[in-house]
Amino acid sequence: MQPTLKSTVKCTDREVGEITRIIVDPLSLEVSHIVVGDGTGGQERPVPMSEVQQVVGHVVHLRIPSSEMGRFPVLNRDEYVTTHEVEIAHLEERLHVEPGEVLVPIPDLERNIKRRTFFTNLTHAIGILLGLPLIYPVMKYLMKPMYLPYDNRWIKVGNVNKIKVEDTGVQFKFRKKVKEAFMPEVEILKNVWLLKATPEVLDEVYKGEDMHFRDSQGSLIWTNKRAFPYVAYSGKCPHLGCGYKWRKVRKLPREIFLCPCHISIYDASGKVLDGPAPRPLDPVPIRVSDNGDVEIIDVEFKAGVRDRIRIL
Amino acid sequence: MEPDRLVQSQPTVLERVVAFVDERVGLKTLQAKMLNEPVPGGSRWAYIFGSCLLFIFVLQAVTGVLLMFYYVPSVDHAYASTQYIIHEVDYGWFILSYHFWGSSVMVVMVFAHMSQVFLWGAYKSPRELIWLVGLVLFSIVMAFGFTGYLLPWDQRAYWATTVGVEIMDKTPIVGDFMARFLKGGPTPGQMTLNRFFLIHVMVLPAALMALAGLHIFLFRKAGPAGPFHGGVEELKAKTDYFFPRQVWKDIVAVSVVFVSICGLAFIEPVVLLEEATPDPGDYHPEPEWYFLFMFQLLRLKIFGGELGQFLGAVAIPGAFMLLLAALPFIDRSPERNIFKRPIALVSYVVVVLGIVLFTVSAVINREFLD
Repeated sequence: MQPTLKSTVKCTDREVGEITRIIVDPLSLEVSHIVVGDGTGGQERPVPMSEVQQVVGHVVHLRIPSSEMGRFPVLNRDEYVTTHEVEIAHLEERLHVEPGEVLVPIPDLERNIKRRTFFTNLTHAIGILLGLPLIYPVMKYLMKPMYLPYDNRWIKVGNVNKIKVEDTGVQFKFRKKVKEAFMPEVEILKNVWLLKATPEVLDEVYKGEDMHFRDSQGSLIWTNKRAFPYVAYSGKCPHLGCGYKWRKVRKLPREIFLCPCHISIYDASGKVLDGPAPRPLDPVPIRVSDNGDVEIIDVEFKAGVRDRIRIL
Repeated sequence: MEPDRLVQSQPTVLERVVAFVDERVGLKTLQAKMLNEPVPGGSRWAYIFGSCLLFIFVLQAVTGVLLMFYYVPSVDHAYASTQYIIHEVDYGWFILSYHFWGSSVMVVMVFAHMSQVFLWGAYKSPRELIWLVGLVLFSIVMAFGFTGYLLPWDQRAYWATTVGVEIMDKTPIVGDFMARFLKGGPTPGQMTLNRFFLIHVMVLPAALMALAGLHIFLFRKAGPAGPFHGGVEELKAKTDYFFPRQVWKDIVAVSVVFVSICGLAFIEPVVLLEEATPDPGDYHPEPEWYFLFMFQLLRLKIFGGELGQFLGAVAIPGAFMLLLAALPFIDRSPERNIFKRPIALVSYVVVVLGIVLFTVSAVINREFLD
C-alpha cells in the first residue's frame, strides 16, 4: 500500500476534513482552490484560496467557521480534467506540491560523478573522431561532377550565306553532343548569334584589340582577330543566363538584342543599351572556312559579373 | 444506459483491443492531451492557417509519392514520363495538377500564416523560437517550389532553374560553389535534375517533417498566444479547448482549401511546354508567380551591374530574412495590438504593397515583350 500525503483542513472552530485535490487556474497557473473532503470518500467541496488564512505544517487553517462550509458548492468532477489530460504550457514547472520533490535514489554503481563526465566526453570525442574524417570523402563524393575541363571542340553551326545584311543578328542553332557522367551521349540544341559587322561595330566589339581565349590551364586556344568581320555571340545572356533575341520592339526605333527575362537590351556590337546586364554580349571563338562554313567553340562565361570568367 | 448496467456488461472485442493498446501506448491520454489544449480567448478563424498547412503538406506528400510511381528523373525520360502521367495514366493529369496547385496554395497559406502571426504580435517573447523555426520552414517551402519546378524538364522548368541558380551564384565567396553544387557541374543537365529530384523528394520532406514537428512542439510548450486585447477575466470566460470548436473551424478551412486546389486542378490542369533545351526558342522565361516580384525587382536598372545584382539578388532578400529573424529580439515591447504598433503595421503594408506592385508590373511587362 502506498502512503498518501494529505493535509488536514481546520475551520475556525473545528477540523472539517482533508485536502483531496487541488484546482489550478490554467491562465495564472496558480492554485485557485483546495478541494476539501470529509475523509470518508463522501462530498468534496472546492474552497477558494482566498479563504485560506495560514498553513502550519500539515494543517491548513481556513478563516471561516465550519458552519459556512455549506456555501461552497459540491465538487462536480465532470467539470474538470486532470493535468495529465490537458496541455497547459509551463504548468509542471510552476506547480510546487509541498513538501517538495519526489526523489528516486541513484543506484550505488552510478554515484561516481567523475566517471559520468568522462563517459560523456568520451562519447563526444568518439563522435567527432568518426564524423570528422567522413567530411572529406563525402564532400569529394558530392563534388565529383562540379568542376569539368572546358570543352574546346570546334562545332560547325552553318554557313555565312545565311547572313544577308550587315550589323544584323542572325541566329545559328546547332546541336552539340554531350556525354554526361553515366548517361548515353545526347545532342542538345543550343544557339549562337552571328553578325557580319561593319568596321565601326567591330571596333566597338573588340576595342581595337584581338580577343584571346584560354583553356583551364591558361594556355591560348584561339584568338579572334579584331579585323575579322564575323562575330559570334554566345546565346547566353550575360545578365542571368537566359536566351536573348535580335528583334524589333515597338518602343525602339531599330532592332536590338533583347533578353526577355530581365529586359537587358544590347546593340549589334553587344553593348548594353539598357537594363541590368553587367557587361556586353560575349563573343566566342569563330572561324569561317573558304566555302563559308562557320565553326565556333561553345564557350560559356559566368553570368552576372563584369569580367568574363569562363565556365565551359 | 444506466451506470450499473455499463459496469456489468462484458466489453466487446474491439473495446478490449482498444484497452490493450491503450494500456501499453497511453493513447487516450495522448489524444486527450492533443485535443484538450486551452485556446485563450476562444477559437477563431484567424487560427486556421497552421492546420491548413499541415493538411496541404500531407497531401503534397501523398500526391508526390503517387507521381513517383511513373516519374523518372533523367534528362532523357523526365519529360516523357511526365507527359505519360498527364496523357496516359488514368487520373494522372489530376494528381499532377493537384500537386502543382497544392504548392501554389501552400505558398499562399504560408504567407497568410506568417501575416497572422505578425499582425497578432504572436512572435514576441516567449515565442521567439517558434517564429525562427517558422522562418526556416518558410524557406523550405520556397525551396520545395524551386526544386519541384525543374522536375518536368520542360522549357519553363529549365529556364526558371537556369536563372534561379545564376541568382544563387551571386552570393559572395560561396556563390560559385553553391551554384555548381546544385547544378552538379558548370551548366544544367542530368546532374542538376538528379540533385533537384533528390532534394525535392528526400532532403526537404525530411527537413520539413522534423522542423514542423519542432515548430508544433515549441508552440505547445509556449501555449497559444491568444487575442491581442481583452483582460484576464474576459479571456478566461471565452477560453475553450482546441477540440471541438477550433477543430471544427480548421476542418471547414481544410475542406475549402482541398476543394479550391481540386477546382484549380480541374480548371487549369498542368500543360507542359516543349522539352527542355538550352535554346529557349520563342519561350519567354518566367518563374512561378510567387517569385515574380523578385524577378521584376532584378529587372530594375539599380539592381543591374555586378554590385546592383548582388544587392537585388542576395543582399536585400538576405537582409529582409535576417530582419524577420531578428524581429522578436528587436521588437521587445509586450504590446501585441497591431493598431498600437504603427511601425509594424506600416512596414507590413509597405512590404505587401511592394510585392503586389512588383508582381503586377511583371505581368504588365509581358505586353512589352510581345
